[in-house]
Amino acid sequence: MSNSQIIVGLEIGTSKVCVVVGEVSDNQVANIIGLGQSKSRGVRKGEIVDASVVEEDVRNAIVEAEHMADVEIQSVFLGVTGSHMRGFNNTGVHPVVSADREINDADIQDVIKNAKAVNLPSDHSVIHVIRQHFSVDGQDGVLNPEGMLGAKMEVDVHVVSGRYNRLQNPIRLVSGLHLQVENIAFNGLASSLATLSTEQKELGTLVIDLGAGTTEYAIYSGGVIKHTGVLAVGGDHVSNDLAYGLKVPLGRAEQLKVDNGSAVIDPETKNRMMDLSTDNIIPGKKVNLNHLQMIMSMRLREIFELIANDIEQAGLIDYLRAGVVLCGGGARTQHITKLARDVFNLPAAIGRSSTVSGIKNALDEPEFSTSIGLIKFGAFQSQTTPKREGFGHAIRKQFVSLFGGRK
Amino acid sequence: MTNSNMTRNHDNSDNPVIRFIGVGETGVKLVETLAMIGLKGVESHSLDTDNRSLSRCHQSKTLLLGKSIPCGLGAGGDVALARAAVESDRDHLSRLVSGADLIFVIAGMGGGTGTEAASFVARLAKETGALVVGVAATPFNCEGSRRCNKAAGGIRDLKQSSDVVFHFSNEEVMQIAGGEVSLNNALEIANRHLCESVLGLSRMLIEPGLLNVSFGDLQASMKGRHSLGSTLCVEGTGENLAADVMEKILSHPAARMGKALSEATTLLVHLSGGDNLSLTEINTIIESISSHATDVDLIVGASGSGSDNVLQVILVLVQQAKSKDSLMGANASKNILENEATDLSYPENFMPSGDNSYMGLGVESTGTNRVRFAYTPPAPAVETITPEMKNSLLEVAANQESNRKKRKEIKQEMLPLEIISKGRFEKSEPTIHKGEDLDQPTYIRRGMMLN
Repeated sequence: MSNSQIIVGLEIGTSKVCVVVGEVSDNQVANIIGLGQSKSRGVRKGEIVDASVVEEDVRNAIVEAEHMADVEIQSVFLGVTGSHMRGFNNTGVHPVVSADREINDADIQDVIKNAKAVNLPSDHSVIHVIRQHFSVDGQDGVLNPEGMLGAKMEVDVHVVSGRYNRLQNPIRLVSGLHLQVENIAFNGLASSLATLSTEQKELGTLVIDLGAGTTEYAIYSGGVIKHTGVLAVGGDHVSNDLAYGLKVPLGRAEQLKVDNGSAVIDPETKNRMMDLSTDNIIPGKKVNLNHLQMIMSMRLREIFELIANDIEQAGLIDYLRAGVVLCGGGARTQHITKLARDVFNLPAAIGRSSTVSGIKNALDEPEFSTSIGLIKFGAFQSQTTPKREGFGHAIRKQFVSLFGGRK
Repeated sequence: MTNSNMTRNHDNSDNPVIRFIGVGETGVKLVETLAMIGLKGVESHSLDTDNRSLSRCHQSKTLLLGKSIPCGLGAGGDVALARAAVESDRDHLSRLVSGADLIFVIAGMGGGTGTEAASFVARLAKETGALVVGVAATPFNCEGSRRCNKAAGGIRDLKQSSDVVFHFSNEEVMQIAGGEVSLNNALEIANRHLCESVLGLSRMLIEPGLLNVSFGDLQASMKGRHSLGSTLCVEGTGENLAADVMEKILSHPAARMGKALSEATTLLVHLSGGDNLSLTEINTIIESISSHATDVDLIVGASGSGSDNVLQVILVLVQQAKSKDSLMGANASKNILENEATDLSYPENFMPSGDNSYMGLGVESTGTNRVRFAYTPPAPAVETITPEMKNSLLEVAANQESNRKKRKEIKQEMLPLEIISKGRFEKSEPTIHKGEDLDQPTYIRRGMMLN
């Protein structure tokens, strides 16, 4: 235990609260050792609407994970999402001023700082600044300029920002449970970290996390993040559409979606009725399976189409040579890959969290990809920041992540 | 009234060109009723965001507002949606209002389309130089204070953009008809009253009379007043026509026991009786009206084309926005007029606030734009409105800023009025993507039928 580090990923999702405990060894290999989850009741569209209920759910999930991993959880990496979050690209410029024109670490920090200075709405704060490429005196595609000579250095970054107040809600809630929030990460980014291999990132891949309340997507190309986005539409909407269209209660609609749902309309189901009279809720109720699949397929197709439009606008559709990777609970829908292939005209697959090792059944479930990704994110973070420097440092880091993290 | 007929009228300068424009569901219904009566030389147009209500129109020319935004499904009480719709059809509307002398903009206040689009249409009409008369029905008190407040705001906007607003509250129906009346009847009475106002005024201008009231008279009494007005239309029968008429005028709710008469600055009286209409009768009526209204411009007209033994009297009251002296300084009122002029000459700047419009979604609304439009409306003539309206108007005036914010917030609460339920997302922040509410089932938005 002494030479490994415990990293915990916490995702407060719309359908479930999920805690994954990972053990990261000195050579940065993450291993999943514990898992805890509970049904989420106080979250809509990825954002907390009933804090007291969510608090209870988080506590349950944490306790379960602690039991399984046999550790005491002190700090977590928290996943955040919501319709208020935005991703965009920005460029920072910095003149190299040192006498010998050699680029040193301070220059790199400065250029990134310049890139961070984006024109955000006053209530927004920056969550991630992810560097893409440096360019030194017009030479593009420099991955690490340290030690190079040059007069002018530029950096392209991808910035993810969100409303400060709305980001603080889950952070405060978790802090209220006496858990330290080490850092927050955008869920879409976390999922992509868990599911993509280096080759996929290099070739260009679109990761779509089909959550219950929100759908996040991220595009990798040339090994770096090119684009991210959130749609506040998800599996809940599918259930809601079904409840409305088939005139069944929401809970029953949810179950129908899981049991009989399909992302594409199966011609076999034409005029096939399903008897629901075994349920005591609605005696004698029958639903048309064709309608069910039609409603579902239209909603899911719309989600994909909205994403496809966004990507097309960003001009990235031709960069996706490795296709589409789907994760999140929505990826369990039957024939969802077929629908994705139809809409994007690209190969599509369900994401597996193959980049970490550990409990096998946790890794294969697409809905855990965000939490597992948070562990990867945490591992990267602890790699870049020196670890274990005593209590004072931990406090300072906490403040940096809470306040210094903005701008 | 065919178009060729219209043009002929205009060319001969026989009669002023009058157009009825109904906005929103109530407006469309009223215009349809008016068109059915078929006054000669009057053109009727129905505008709505809802295809359904337009499909019921047979006599008037229809125009669906916002083909692309609410897609003919109605604004559902959402004023922002209504504004987006009406703005998208701006060119069409400008053509529709051009070339008329007198335009009635008829709308029911409190909903989405009527409240928001009426003032827009009125302003476009005003830009063409026509005399614009707004005719507005406001909801019953029992329809909720929010709807009433919205209606009050709508009337205020309409008053700002038209010359005179004839306002009729459904609440007054209660006074006329008593509490026992059925809903159907109550609405019919309200509609009849509004129709009477409009028809009376139009008839006064169109029908050849013994003593003519000309369009010029009307224009002089109304132009640029931005005030409330009302029209009383009464019929006297029996032996003592004059006494009967006066009694009916004074008992009319719009006259408010004769108080409205004394407050009016201009009175147009038009009598239409049979061939045997005697001067004595006219004289008696005018005298008794004058006794109530001592300090007014009185314009009298008469025609003898009506039926015998029935004396129809149309009384148009126009109030000066008298609160100019009481509530506002002379400077303030001067500013209003100046602002008015600038606004009319820069129609591009009409968009009242960028954030209320879907057209500007994603575009940061510039501060200057907002400032330009934010001129103070002429203060309401407090005494001419019902106590309930008065309260809401005063409230609006007192905290304009915070009230505006409130309106933006309660946009969410309007959602239950929409036909399509949003289920569990009813209370959450709506997911709007390019003007489409993604919380509504996709298959409904795409018009897929389940059968």
